[in-house]
Amino acid sequence: MDRTLKARLEARLSDHLRAPVYQRHDETEIRIEPGSVPEVLRTLHDALDLRFEILADLAGVDTGVAMQVVYHLWSPMTSDWLRVIADGISRDDPRAPSATFLWIGAEWLEREAYDMYGIVFEGNRDLRRIFMPPDYTSFPLRKDFLLPDDAARSPGAGVRHVERAHVSAGAADPAAGIRRAPAS
Amino acid sequence: MSAATPAGGRIRSAMGLMRSFPAQFWSRLSLQERLALIFVPAAIVAGVVTVLAVVLLGPPFLDFLGANLPLVRFAVAATAILLLTVPTAFVLIYLELKVIARMNLRIGPNRVGPWGIAMSVIHGFKVLSKEDFAPTGADITVFTLAPVVTYMASVMTLLVIPFAPGLIGQDLNIGLLYFFSMGGLTVVGLLMAGWSSFNKYSLLGGLRSAAQIISYEIPLTLSVVGVIILAGTMSMNRIVLAQSGSLLDWFVFKQPLAALIFFIAATAEANRTPFDMTEADSEIVAGFATEYSGMRFGFFFFAEYVNVFIVSALVATVFFGGWTAPFQWPWAYNLNWFNPWSFGFFGWLAIVLTVGYFGTIFFAVFARLFGGREWGLWASMGLGFLFLLVVVAGLVVLAGFIAFDWVAGLVWFMAKTYAFVITFVWMRATLPRVRVDQLMGFAWKWLLPASLLNLFVTATAVVLLNR
Amino acid sequence: MPAHQHAPRTSPARATTRAARPHPQPSADDASARQYSSADDPRVMLDRQVGALFEPIPPYPTRTEREGEFYSLGDGEMFLNVGPHHPATHGVLRLVLKLSGEQIVDVDPVLGYLHRGVEKICENSDYYHVIDQVDPLEYVSSLFQEWAAVLSFEKLMDVQVPRRAEYIRVLSGELLRIASHTLFMGFLALDLGGLTPILYSFIERDEIVEMLAALTGARMLFNYFRVGGVNGDLNHEFMSRLGDWMTRAAKQTEAQAGLLNENEIFVRRMRGVGVLDRATALRYGVTGGNLRASGVPFDLRRAHPYSVYPELDFNIPTRDEGDSLARYLIRVDEVRESIKIVDQCLHNMPDGPVMARLPRLIRPRPGRAWGACEGPRGMLGVYTISDGSDGPFRFRIHDPSFLNLETVPALLPGNLLADTMAVVSSLDPVMGGIDK
Repeated sequence: MDRTLKARLEARLSDHLRAPVYQRHDETEIRIEPGSVPEVLRTLHDALDLRFEILADLAGVDTGVAMQVVYHLWSPMTSDWLRVIADGISRDDPRAPSATFLWIGAEWLEREAYDMYGIVFEGNRDLRRIFMPPDYTSFPLRKDFLLPDDAARSPGAGVRHVERAHVSAGAADPAAGIRRAPAS
Repeated sequence: MSAATPAGGRIRSAMGLMRSFPAQFWSRLSLQERLALIFVPAAIVAGVVTVLAVVLLGPPFLDFLGANLPLVRFAVAATAILLLTVPTAFVLIYLELKVIARMNLRIGPNRVGPWGIAMSVIHGFKVLSKEDFAPTGADITVFTLAPVVTYMASVMTLLVIPFAPGLIGQDLNIGLLYFFSMGGLTVVGLLMAGWSSFNKYSLLGGLRSAAQIISYEIPLTLSVVGVIILAGTMSMNRIVLAQSGSLLDWFVFKQPLAALIFFIAATAEANRTPFDMTEADSEIVAGFATEYSGMRFGFFFFAEYVNVFIVSALVATVFFGGWTAPFQWPWAYNLNWFNPWSFGFFGWLAIVLTVGYFGTIFFAVFARLFGGREWGLWASMGLGFLFLLVVVAGLVVLAGFIAFDWVAGLVWFMAKTYAFVITFVWMRATLPRVRVDQLMGFAWKWLLPASLLNLFVTATAVVLLNR
Repeated sequence: MPAHQHAPRTSPARATTRAARPHPQPSADDASARQYSSADDPRVMLDRQVGALFEPIPPYPTRTEREGEFYSLGDGEMFLNVGPHHPATHGVLRLVLKLSGEQIVDVDPVLGYLHRGVEKICENSDYYHVIDQVDPLEYVSSLFQEWAAVLSFEKLMDVQVPRRAEYIRVLSGELLRIASHTLFMGFLALDLGGLTPILYSFIERDEIVEMLAALTGARMLFNYFRVGGVNGDLNHEFMSRLGDWMTRAAKQTEAQAGLLNENEIFVRRMRGVGVLDRATALRYGVTGGNLRASGVPFDLRRAHPYSVYPELDFNIPTRDEGDSLARYLIRVDEVRESIKIVDQCLHNMPDGPVMARLPRLIRPRPGRAWGACEGPRGMLGVYTISDGSDGPFRFRIHDPSFLNLETVPALLPGNLLADTMAVVSSLDPVMGGIDK
């Protein structure tokens, strides 16, 4: 856990942070608005005391309430992983700015996030499906995309199939809907 | 069907048949009747024509053949060589499978026959029995002709290879020139295959082969010009005779650079690794042969191995003394006292039966001892018989080697040729493939100047020494 | 009329010019744009012109500018569809090459032929099953994918892994890294037309895989790591096989490397081909040996130490050339370093348990964790969101081959068709991990 990193981040990005910097184990987490992604990433990449020059991962997340784009960054200046969560993207019309202006490699990662979640990355020159066939219409990793044996639709909604046997039928609302992430 | 109708119907149909002859005649016949109606008259006509032809044209034809013995010789030689290519390809395929396997620390084929020796025969049957289809959009005529052209080009080059003294298809006075012109025809077949397959991989393979073979023809041909100057002839037989004597008379010692260039260029000419650009499997799948299947592919496959044999034979002939022995036999022995006719029929029968009976048992004991329990009684008897045949054949060849000039020549020729065949196989197991631009650059930037240099030096030396 | 006369007598090269027609641009929200028009229906095309069927042109309107730009041909260009069934594409990768003669103008990799939706499956499994599910992703070195997953889960659970378990993880992981790199060398040679090195590679790999089978019970998909440790202690057969192998490992590696390093044809085909410079490599997010071949000493074992790697003595080899040869030589050097690590693991192996004390049912508190480890191909990462149940709410798998492969459209143009295999193979992609 790098305490100085927290101070540096707060000094540099205080305008953009949606929530206080959160640190756990070797991870530092910041939450930003999707609109401020280019600015924040640019600062993180260029600032001489941050130098997050390796994009470790770009992932889409569907919390059931909103969409997120999660960036994991690595820098030689700190011993922590930095997680940047662009939170609060609408589930109905998910749009986020692209990170390809900094890391051209994000192009495929964003294509994957688009393929799986339907998040449209504005500024990505080649945003098409990457794994699913081109005539595919849904977005399989969304939480409202249910598998046939999805535990969320079982009588005990939200209960894993390991313990499904212990839940008596009718104990929970069958239409409990989709799984939602815990409020952080 | 008339056979299935009741009698009345049959009569009526016969009457109808009479009325509407010949319009409905054919359609009312059963299959057997149709076949009989075709083949019985055809056989009669063919028999009559044959008899007439033999009676009328036979004597003049024999006279014609007698007057044109070279023509007969050519026909017989061409047929023999065509037949020879198949076992040659079989042996080479098996050799390659087995030798590469040993180099890869594998066992190789060991299921079909003892030590898998029938593997290439099975390969042959496999390609024969496979479906022979042409892809949609292919130019069927060219597609079908391409393997024939390639195969025939390979086979025809064998015609001028001197296997042994007197054992040569045609001793043309322009033998080498004929060889290169025929060898160059291969590229036509490959290009036809690549173009007609309607496949881009094939097309790329065809174009690569055209570029490669045409580029390597030039150093290949130029490198033997030095040999031609030294030997003073293009006849293959006389090139061999020019090297007779001892080991030091071989042209490889007088033309080492030419031999090297020739060997490299010949590798490219035969499309062998590291110059197998035309069928580079990791790049263009199978090149020109991508769309081929069945025996059409088999022809390409055979042609490749026949090419290897031919190229090795040519290296052995031009630079390594062909069928001449590397040294004189000090124990030349006369076997003329041995007259095989003196035994008579029953004498031979007795010899064959005795040797066969006891020899088989003798070798079967060894097969049983060394093969262990996995060979049954009859299997070991069969294996013993096989061993016996090999030993007897070896003895016969040995006797021929001592007694007949051409047998000795053939043995030397084959030994040299297969040494180069194994070299080609060894290269295939060892080397990766060069890139296509490196390949062309090597031909034009290195081999061509080197062969020109060799030609220049040879010509100068000959002029200076003969002055 | 013979059947074949229906076929048009067009050459392959001529048929490609048909592709020059511009594709209709997609309208933003027009659902009907995705419907096949009758003119573009493959069945109609079959009747009209067979040649068009052989073009890898998508039978739908182009979706992005880049796609439209790629799928329109310039003068004298043609498409070549390499894969998904091709002797030299690792797995089922499909590369659509735009060629001018044999020179590559542009590349469009098409993925997804092996997509199984492992992330979705994992989100519907519990934590034990996840370890099983991620195994076949990077099937050449599956322990590392397990490792990334358990690192992530252990952070969620706040588990302290016993030291012996950590050493066993490092030991088995480094063995598998050697096996993977050895196989890489063989396949690289095979893609360049060399028949023999691959078989020597398999001998080496087989020895390692057999000893890991003695340890884990499986040859390929080990399912060995657990949250909080490993699934079994070292056993006698593993140790005897390992000791047997260690006596000749270094010599064998040198012999195998010598087979290729000193081959003039091989070196000439690899040197200067597919040069990935430092800045581009970082912009592409390339990791692993491919990044280190470009001069960036980024290896998670040192850059972000995990497990017991800080206690071990080894080097991070780097090279500055960034070409295919450098990427190959980096792997050879890494094998040497891994042998050193294995040796140290054997000498420093502590006693103790191999599993932390954990409840039967893993049920971490809600939270997020990112675990990453250094696999043979680069950084393998797993991002897990837990909602307090016994399975991950979100399970994100980051595979290094995915980003390594993304550089192919940048590396290939200007090279020859034959270099496709040299470059793609030197990047060492594994399609199981890429397609997930």
